[in-house]
Amino acid sequence: MSELSCLVVEDSPMMRQLIVFALARIKNMIVTEADDGVTGLKKLSGNHFDLVITDINMPIMDGLKLIKKIRSDSSHKAVPIIVITTEGSEEDRARAIALGASAYITKPIQAPQVITKVKELLGI
Amino acid sequence: MGSEKHQTKTTTSGAPPEIVKEREMFVRTVLRKGVEFTEELIRENKRYGQEIAKLQTENARLRAQIASEDAIRELLGTIEILEKERSDLLARSRELERTSVKYEDRYLQMEKELNDLASLYVASFQLHATLFPRHVLEHIGDLLDQFVGAKTSVLYIIQPDRRTAEPVAWTKMDESILKPVRLGEGVVGEVCLTGVLMIRHEILSGGNIDNPLAVVPLTAEGQTLGAISVLELLQQKQKWEDVDEELFKLLGAHACTALIASNLFDNGRKDPLIALQGIRAKLPQNCTGFGRESAVDIVR
Repeated sequence: MSELSCLVVEDSPMMRQLIVFALARIKNMIVTEADDGVTGLKKLSGNHFDLVITDINMPIMDGLKLIKKIRSDSSHKAVPIIVITTEGSEEDRARAIALGASAYITKPIQAPQVITKVKELLGI
Repeated sequence: MGSEKHQTKTTTSGAPPEIVKEREMFVRTVLRKGVEFTEELIRENKRYGQEIAKLQTENARLRAQIASEDAIRELLGTIEILEKERSDLLARSRELERTSVKYEDRYLQMEKELNDLASLYVASFQLHATLFPRHVLEHIGDLLDQFVGAKTSVLYIIQPDRRTAEPVAWTKMDESILKPVRLGEGVVGEVCLTGVLMIRHEILSGGNIDNPLAVVPLTAEGQTLGAISVLELLQQKQKWEDVDEELFKLLGAHACTALIASNLFDNGRKDPLIALQGIRAKLPQNCTGFGRESAVDIVR
């Protein structure tokens, strides 16, 4: 099985570490971390990622803007995006999905939930 | 001629013709009867032949039937054996299913425990990963918000006079409702005084500043130095998880020491390398290695 790469964009180190812990349990998964949308975009540029996991509420550039930027870039147009947010409202989910997010997970997150969603989107 | 009239005619055998005629008639009758009897016998024979053929057919049919019944009996025996095998297999399958369910439950339990341990590890790691009070408070907020699922929460610190606890940090709430609490008064004051964790297990909604859903005592060196009050939970948080209580205990034990360490660091030296100097001088002279006194000294 070839390597899989995932970019995790999350400003909370605690949450980021927990997501990385969950992803580490998927075989051949390589994780790259970014603490805001701008850093995330920089890491995306010139690199290939099989998946992006992003928070919504972040400083400098929030998750919704990041999704918009990713979807407007032809080289990352098709990359699956999972949105992780504390907001439980249908409206936020709908906005993220309308902008091109593939799936969402609401906090507090559970590792099995993240693993299942990632595997589902990557077809593994 | 007259004598010829009285003369009786005779045949070659010498018997009178009437007698001969009568004998012939008799013989003919006997022969005819014999023919009739023979014909009757032939017919009878034919009839018996047909009857025998019929009986033979019947016999063959009955033999076939008996053979078929034997086959059926044999089949029934086989079916019985197969039924038993099927029943044994079903019992085995049910047993395997039970074992499978048991292992599946165990796997899910282990998965949950692993997840809980990961949460506790990350929480503890991050609380002590910084020397800046602001970051420690951010981590405490993240832990409450993102791990526990708290929507609104307040962190209180007990004042030096040990009579009141002041709110020093909070999330997503109207600051005007925040006020110091007297130790021993109200839920927060009670927890600050007793140091006993309070969780309202029966209800997860409708909490407020006076009736929080959980209050976690913050302790260091055996003293209660403050409390974290969880007022409301996120709408998607439907119930307390087992790990929540563990996270509260972890917060209670680590948040205060992390805050004290970062605050002392912030008030004093800003270079962590400088702040580490002089540690050895703070150990008793008779200690070995990592700060424990030597066995001889303990016995004395």
